[in-house]
Amino acid sequence: MSDGPLIVQSDKSLLLEVDHEQAAECRKAIAPFAELERSPEHIHTYRLTPLGLWNARAAGHDAEQVVDTLLSYSRYPVPHALLVDVAETMSRYGRLRLEKHPTHGLVLASNDRPVLEEVLRAKKVAGMLGNRLDDDTVAVHPSERGNLKQALLKIGWPAEDYAGYVDGEAHPIELAEDGWTLRTYQAEAAESFWHGGSGVVVLPCGAGKTIVGAAAMAEARATTLILVTNTVSARQWKDELLRRTSLTEDEIGEYSGTVKEIRPVTIATYQVVTTKRKGVYPHLELFDARDWGLIVYDEVHLLPAPIFRMTADLQARRRLGLTATLVREDGREGDVFSLIGPKRYDAPWKDIEAQGWIAPADCIEVRVSLPDASRMAYATSEPEERYRLAACTPEKVKVVRDLVTRHAGQPTLVIGQYLEQLDELAEALDAPMITGQTPVKERQRLFNGFRSGEIGLLVVSKVANFSIDLPSAEVAIQVSGSFGSRQEEAQRLGRLLRPGEPGPDGERKIAHFYTIVSRDTVDAEFAQNRQRFLAEQGYAYRIVDADDLGAPSADQA
Amino acid sequence: MRNSIARALDSLTRGELSVLDALVVAGQTNESELVTLVDADPAFVVATVRRLVDLALAWESPEGLRPLSVVGDSMVGGVEAGVSGLRPRSAQPRPAAELLEVIAALPSGARALLDHVVDGGSTAKSGAARIGLRPEDAETPAELLIAHRLLVPAGSLQPGLLAVPGEVGLALRGGRTTTAPVDVAPVVAAEPRSARLTGSAAVGAATDVVRRTGQLLEWWGTRPAAALRTTGLGVRELRATAAHLQVSEPEAALVVEVAAEAGLIGTRADTDGNPVWVPTDEFDRWRDLPPAEQWTVLARAWLASPRLPSLVGERGPDQKPWNALTPELAASGMPEAKAMVLAVLAGLPEGEGLAAGTGLPSLVARIAWERPRRPRTRPDLVAWAVAEAAVLGLTGADVLSPYGRALARGEDPAPVLAALLPPPVDHVLIQADLTAVAPGPLEPDLARRLQQVADVESQGAATVYRFTPASVRRALDSGWTTAEVHAFVLAASRTPVPQPLTYLVDDVARSFGRLRVGAATSFIRSEDEVALAELVNHPRSAGLGLQRLAPTVLVSSLPLDLLLARLRELGTAPVVEGPDGVVRVGATEGLRARTPRTRETTDAARSAARQAAHIATAVRTVRQGDEDARSRPASASAPGGGVLSALRDAIERRGAVLIGFTDNQGVVSERSVQPLVVEGGQLTARDTDAEADDPDAERRYAVHRITRVVPVGSA
Repeated sequence: MSDGPLIVQSDKSLLLEVDHEQAAECRKAIAPFAELERSPEHIHTYRLTPLGLWNARAAGHDAEQVVDTLLSYSRYPVPHALLVDVAETMSRYGRLRLEKHPTHGLVLASNDRPVLEEVLRAKKVAGMLGNRLDDDTVAVHPSERGNLKQALLKIGWPAEDYAGYVDGEAHPIELAEDGWTLRTYQAEAAESFWHGGSGVVVLPCGAGKTIVGAAAMAEARATTLILVTNTVSARQWKDELLRRTSLTEDEIGEYSGTVKEIRPVTIATYQVVTTKRKGVYPHLELFDARDWGLIVYDEVHLLPAPIFRMTADLQARRRLGLTATLVREDGREGDVFSLIGPKRYDAPWKDIEAQGWIAPADCIEVRVSLPDASRMAYATSEPEERYRLAACTPEKVKVVRDLVTRHAGQPTLVIGQYLEQLDELAEALDAPMITGQTPVKERQRLFNGFRSGEIGLLVVSKVANFSIDLPSAEVAIQVSGSFGSRQEEAQRLGRLLRPGEPGPDGERKIAHFYTIVSRDTVDAEFAQNRQRFLAEQGYAYRIVDADDLGAPSADQA
Repeated sequence: MRNSIARALDSLTRGELSVLDALVVAGQTNESELVTLVDADPAFVVATVRRLVDLALAWESPEGLRPLSVVGDSMVGGVEAGVSGLRPRSAQPRPAAELLEVIAALPSGARALLDHVVDGGSTAKSGAARIGLRPEDAETPAELLIAHRLLVPAGSLQPGLLAVPGEVGLALRGGRTTTAPVDVAPVVAAEPRSARLTGSAAVGAATDVVRRTGQLLEWWGTRPAAALRTTGLGVRELRATAAHLQVSEPEAALVVEVAAEAGLIGTRADTDGNPVWVPTDEFDRWRDLPPAEQWTVLARAWLASPRLPSLVGERGPDQKPWNALTPELAASGMPEAKAMVLAVLAGLPEGEGLAAGTGLPSLVARIAWERPRRPRTRPDLVAWAVAEAAVLGLTGADVLSPYGRALARGEDPAPVLAALLPPPVDHVLIQADLTAVAPGPLEPDLARRLQQVADVESQGAATVYRFTPASVRRALDSGWTTAEVHAFVLAASRTPVPQPLTYLVDDVARSFGRLRVGAATSFIRSEDEVALAELVNHPRSAGLGLQRLAPTVLVSSLPLDLLLARLRELGTAPVVEGPDGVVRVGATEGLRARTPRTRETTDAARSAARQAAHIATAVRTVRQGDEDARSRPASASAPGGGVLSALRDAIERRGAVLIGFTDNQGVVSERSVQPLVVEGGQLTARDTDAEADDPDAERRYAVHRITRVVPVGSA
């Protein structure tokens, strides 16, 4: 029994005591194979998953190292079954290999004949395999490369892909390091990706994922397809590529709802690629439009399901995934692993801290009590109407107005889901409003105005959810949200609460994030999920009653 | 007697059995000769002989050391059971030198046949071989062996069977019963393991099994597990248990079985009368013990248990899967297998455990040497014992833990284990995501109270609790006040209590008890508030159990029909309201009773006749009985214990007796015989006056026909 900072639980979670003197060292040691699940203030929770262990295998760690790490940092005895399981799981990776055979093309090979026999008998993979070439080799049709990898992962025998990649159409791309240089970890990330072939680079928000993408493109020197979450993000990618590489405006194309350009480097949005008309995807041609040498996926953890299917057919092309977290709300981490590739790089935690990953943000949930009349309306309403009713209660308007007055002079965003509510608020606050219907030009104008400080208050709908950098926002007030994924919620908050540059006195501004919820309704239930997620991400969190808001103490937080 | 001999033989090692076998071959001998017969260290032979005599498997007769006569027949099995396959020596054995001469002169075919017969148990069927030829006339190798008296008839009781006398076998094997040393026990393949790994694995498993047992029983205490009709635990229940404990089904079965063996669970009837498994009173005592002692209770129960949890889920002979807790799921050899596994592991050097791969087979071989005679399922039992010991934390990475060593020695393992267990912690860390992490085993009292206010989310060495509205409400339900919850959380937490938790508690308390529920049998409602007020205050309404819930509603504890009558007595005019709010009125129906069943009319004459018939039957039966008793022949004088014991005595002494017996024709006669074996009601005996090698001199007598036994000769 030692006095280590780590507690290994039998349910395969690892508890790391943050304040322990060995905590940083331990964190570094377990990061390659354990996924960070929660990071509240005192104890961080990591989890051992097969994928995490396979990622570690792909990165060259072996089971002995993992077991040794667990044993040396663990405070208490480590359950033996867990150690056995770790060794067993890790030994499964790489027993099967996808290889290029000189005469038969793509083959599945193994030195472990029983495993191969087991796999050949599995129903899930039966249709994907061709003739048995010899005892250890089976032919695979090239078009099934992705599907086969997916299926093998599902039956627990992930294959290592040695089949190589096509070079794609060459296109000169250079990094233009004028006045800036690639940070060490960015260079390392690009390099590990390139040597691994395909895979995911995990970097925290603001750590310069775009630059890693650019560095990878400079390595590939080939035509590149970049898939991003939305149009605004596409523009940011374009700006960044123009600034950081030798690429010119003419070489970069945008493929989105409004513009459809295909150039040597094309940036497309997930939305346009996954648009379905009459049961078919009309924009699939994009993938075959050029002989792409590299495909970059931004925000892999948000990759929609249809793109996975399309990616399955692109296994011969190099794929780079960029993300801040491998955890997906829909549990499709396995598809990321098998179709995009294993984790190739993970930023050292120290750097993450230096980047201010946990922003000094003050999250406050304001609970308003519904008047009896509204409560009665709510109580008797149809279940599907309930959230809208609860979220759009007129009580909230007054609270918003109070908050806006209190933070007068600080750039403030009011975010909501329902247009009527936003209309009402915009009118009450006398502020400009951006919704899905606002023309892109007008949107850009308003965002720019907000960034430059001309506009101090903006009412926005969910269009602001993704990939819009508004680092100047100091106060955000959320009146209603999309009641689905808390991951999406957190994404929104993360975007808005980017830590700004330190002020002249060296102190970072403290962002205030208010969420206004109706007490005793589904609104409050959703808020609870959000609260949990934020707390797990390490944000400070408070709940106050709308009536107590006037008290001066709440203001000083 | 045969059983007790078998039992005694079962407890011998292969080496000891080999010594006994040599004694049987020798027939009658002394220690110094026996030492030369057994291929082993003389000291081992001498020690073994002492033990055999102590066990009464051999005895010092006046003529020399002898095995008990039945022992020879009980020595079954092959070489692995210590049986050399040699026959007992003849009464007058030929000298070894003479035999070797004869054997050396044998042609190769005959020699090969002889070797083959000796290796195959020293007996052979005579087949077509002729008996009684001179060596010159022998035509086949078999006839040659017979002519040389290397193969002799095995006796009249086994016609056609030839045997190689023991002295021939001994001569062939160079004067010893076996060709290899018998006192060398197989070595257990062991290899050293790092103490950090094994200690961690063992203590980790031990804490896990204690925790899971507690967790299981707490769970069954609130949600009893349905028992099968055979009192077993069904597949579905086991699966649910495994899911709840987050372990595999075999491991869950082991936890359940061990808890049952420790007397921590039992069956009772649930509210519907179906049998269910629930914790026993003993569990409450167990729960209050320190973890090390809890483990000791479980480990001791396991060690003494014949249960086979490892079979759960496998299919039995009837193709039905075995269920946990089924009474038949036990093997009497299991406790011994466990004890021997621990003993062998304890015999390994400190820090060494079973080698990977070869360790288990070598352990099985070693235990087969220690107890070669039974049971046939030994390899399975040993493998299960090893696997279960690992789950229980007796071993870690197949190395016996220090406290496991203490347990194997019969000492109290609790203090040893307690020193290895992490000390309990008295605080938790409460975080803003409403979790409380206990960074180690919590003090039991704190843990119990925390479990009332928060749900357990992750278990292990540490415990993660989560506060939810439901868990806080549960605490309020069980009588906590808001202030108490706040105070408890503040006292238990080593870090400041996060604001959202404080808010959560207050918020739950705010809505707690907003709805109130009570019991009433009927209600009275009226738009006329005054009428209700008057009713409540009526001097004669006290018996109605009225309670005013609202100005227009009263409830009563009386049932509807009674209340209606009373209210009418009070001069009011109530009407009945149906569940749909509609008034029900109507004429009451007159009361009716059920028509009584008509009885059979009594008839004096018939009952008198019936009575007479009864008596007549009874008398006839008694008379018949008397008649039967008279006509039955007087029972023959049963062969008393005297006859049997006299015969057995003579067999042990190898003395002659005079027996009086009645033959098939009823003729009573006497014979002087030397009894050989008593078995299955038959005495096998040899006529005392017969020639030494006359195979027809052995005869069988039915013991019950022997009327008397008189020792003759030496007696």
